[in-house]
Amino acid sequence: MSPAPRHGRGRYDVIVVGAGLSGSLIAKELGDKGWRVLVLEAGTGTLDGWPGHLDALDTFYGALAKVPNSPYRPNAAAPSPDVLDVTGLPAGGYRARGYFVQNGPLPYSTDYLRARGGTVLHWLGLTPRMHPEDFRTRRTYGYGRDWPLGYDDLEPHYRAAERALGVAGDAAEQAAAVGLPFPDGYVYPMHAIPRSYVDDVFAARLDGATVREAPGAPGTTLRVTGTPHARNSTPDRRYDGGRGYRPAGAAGLPNYGERCVGNASCVPICPVQAKYTPLKTQATWDRRRVRLLTHAVVGRVLADGNGRALGVEYQEYEDPAAPVATTRTAEADVVVLAAHAIENARLLLVSRLAGHSDQVGRNLMDHPVLLGWGLARHPVGPFRGPASTSGLESFRTGPARRERAPFRIEISNWGWGWPAGSPGSDVARLLGIGAGPAQPRAKGVFGARLRTALGEEIGRQVSVQFLMEQEAEERNRVTVDRRHPDRLGNPRPVITYDLSERVKRGMAAARSVSEEIFRLLGAEDRTAYEPGPLSPGYFRFEGRGFAFNGAGHGGGTHIMGASRGTSVVDAWQRCWDHPNLYAVGCGSMPSMGTSNPSLTMAALALRSSERIHRDLTEAHRPAAVGPLSPEPVGDGRTEGPA
Amino acid sequence: MTPKTSTPAPSLDDFLTASAALTGFDAFELHATGMAELYHDTAREQVGDAALGRLLDALAAAGGDPDGIADEIARDIARALAHTWYLGVWPQLAASVHTALGRQQANAAFTVSPEAYTEGLVWRTFHGHPAGAKPPGFGTWADPPPGAPAVARAGAGAPGLPGPRGGGA
Ligand SMILES: Cc1cc2nc3c(=O)[nH]c(=O)nc-3n(C[C@H](O)[C@H](O)[C@H](O)COP(=O)(O)OP(=O)(O)OC[C@H]3O[C@@H](n4cnc5c(N)ncnc54)[C@H](O)[C@@H]3O)c2cc1C
Ligand code: SF4
Repeated sequence: MSPAPRHGRGRYDVIVVGAGLSGSLIAKELGDKGWRVLVLEAGTGTLDGWPGHLDALDTFYGALAKVPNSPYRPNAAAPSPDVLDVTGLPAGGYRARGYFVQNGPLPYSTDYLRARGGTVLHWLGLTPRMHPEDFRTRRTYGYGRDWPLGYDDLEPHYRAAERALGVAGDAAEQAAAVGLPFPDGYVYPMHAIPRSYVDDVFAARLDGATVREAPGAPGTTLRVTGTPHARNSTPDRRYDGGRGYRPAGAAGLPNYGERCVGNASCVPICPVQAKYTPLKTQATWDRRRVRLLTHAVVGRVLADGNGRALGVEYQEYEDPAAPVATTRTAEADVVVLAAHAIENARLLLVSRLAGHSDQVGRNLMDHPVLLGWGLARHPVGPFRGPASTSGLESFRTGPARRERAPFRIEISNWGWGWPAGSPGSDVARLLGIGAGPAQPRAKGVFGARLRTALGEEIGRQVSVQFLMEQEAEERNRVTVDRRHPDRLGNPRPVITYDLSERVKRGMAAARSVSEEIFRLLGAEDRTAYEPGPLSPGYFRFEGRGFAFNGAGHGGGTHIMGASRGTSVVDAWQRCWDHPNLYAVGCGSMPSMGTSNPSLTMAALALRSSERIHRDLTEAHRPAAVGPLSPEPVGDGRTEGPA
Repeated sequence: MTPKTSTPAPSLDDFLTASAALTGFDAFELHATGMAELYHDTAREQVGDAALGRLLDALAAAGGDPDGIADEIARDIARALAHTWYLGVWPQLAASVHTALGRQQANAAFTVSPEAYTEGLVWRTFHGHPAGAKPPGFGTWADPPPGAPAVARAGAGAPGLPGPRGGGA
């Protein structure tokens, strides 16, 4: 391993904390504008080269539970939460282990990844825009928090984000089916990802049908709609005024991954890297100006008595398995926290900064997910292609929002993978193997009967995922407690989480819609919510049982608003209390609507980099007009086999 | 790990004959996965030659029909073998069987090797491919799988279905 490099030397214009999606985009923009950027990344950089990628793929193949973090090695210096940390109890309730300390009525059962590239390494890659009305639910429908900016303000940045991530989609369909305003003639960089046979089966039965979410409620018309993806498809020649688009291939292997080939494992890892990850953006950083240091866990933001951020304190370690850390500091004119919603809040709390409004860590949101599953009448070809290629978008908007949370419905292409752990659980069940070794075993079927039964059952599996909007609530929060440190002594996040009545009413409506969908499909509805180890999110509402899952869409924890008294950051994601400290990411979002949030987050990050550029320009001129460092500044650390 | 008895080791051929009966895939198909020797070794390590022999004998006594296996120890080993072939994962044995065999190792499930996962037979039962390997190519997920009826494609303007369809900008 190379000796620890010196990096405290010299000042930087900007320090970016976290080499995930937000941080990578901001470092790219500011580096390209000539600013010297230091990116401090808590995790290792094992995944940036092709050998590291192949190692992650093998780890995934070998993992017993193919959960989102399964390909990625645990890191004791920068631990990550894992969905397996939370288990349900036999009569309801849950138990949490691992990185999060949880004390809420319901579990926050979702993960993120602390490694170079961040959580987006194992995201699914769906990139719908938010709907204009999502930005003003308080004014329009009387709940939640309004954004200090609207869809129109963000629209150009949406386009910039769609370019940066490489989005495939059908803008005309999004406009017609979702009601999204686009500039005239806008097309996405790539043609839509073809929709699946599963989608076609749904469309044949559902398109134009009307369902009621409760007896006597107004009817809602269904329509299967393609979802935009940050996943390589066929470039659209018409893009960018006819200049077209060149897909970004794999990081570390040229001319590879320029098209999705249907590996059907986007979560947790795309073998060919056809799916966007921040490693692709990092590959385009101007390395003379952007310097990345991995193995650098930021523990605190340093500020002077007037509220100006001076820099950060971080711990550098060598071995992620047995970390011993050296504490260092780095200074810059602007500090950008881009460490993920929960980590950003944790850092602000530990640093005792941005606390004027008492909102840091509060308003934790996710898209709580309700699943529905059934057996179609004929084979549908599950476990093929990206996890979801289409959705049903009609429950995302409209006056029903006054009463219940709105939801977006994803049609799954992966059978009962999420709801039931298929196909592994199907094999075990047919063989008579129950939940554990102590449970009595059924006789089981073998041979040709086993083979045929599996084919007939798994081949007909369909499921739907209801992503509920969760409104900002102060009681849902991240705090820190010195009594719960991690291995390096940094306080772990303490999470208090629950679902509001409004979200639960949304789930009740979603459950009815789910039943209607399976009825229209002529499919046998197999949805059942029971308490137990696999249902930590089990609860009862109005006499019925429900079980929800996390979506991985953490947000709200450094909420944006129009005034210093009620929010943490302003419309530029700049801390009200600290003019040169930015906290970027989904943590800034006052509401998340029903869209998978990262495209909106990316648009916000790009918008913020414009502001940071202006701040820095006002303070002094970019480095480009002065002499550049003679040699490129490489990564602080290159990984070898440990 | 050395088997505790001096029973002759069940041969790979006998192991494959039994595996074919248990899985419904013939010995040729099983060989073609490249996993046969690894699974043979794994089974011997996990339960020992005597218990593995007991399964092969029980199966032979039942005329090669797994339904006829009466002995619960043999049957649980049969479950474990079929599970391994289908998923690449050696499962936990029934607690009683684990005890009865006096196994030295922990009764833990594990993926036999990374390739074992991608060679799992389960994907083939529904004409699929292992998630994360052997990708069938761009857009193939739009085709009906074998045995499925054709339905209208998006943009094909299926008659009677209302609603505009995306057709470029
Ligand atoms: C399973 C799953 C599927 C998802 N699918 C989608 C989807 O389809 N569409 C969508 O829009 N969103 C999706 N998401 C959400 C998406 O992944 C997040 O919104 C996004 O990753 C947030 O980006 P970020 O840059 O804020 O944080 P991250 O991507 O988490 O990056 C944060 C970075 O900061 C680093 N870091 C953390 N702490 C420190 C520290 N103390 N010091 C230094 N560095 C630090 C981390 O190591 C990491 O590299 C999914 C999430 C999950 C879990
Ligand atoms: S379907 Fe496969 S190739 Fe396509 S993005 Fe997902 S994992 Fe990658």
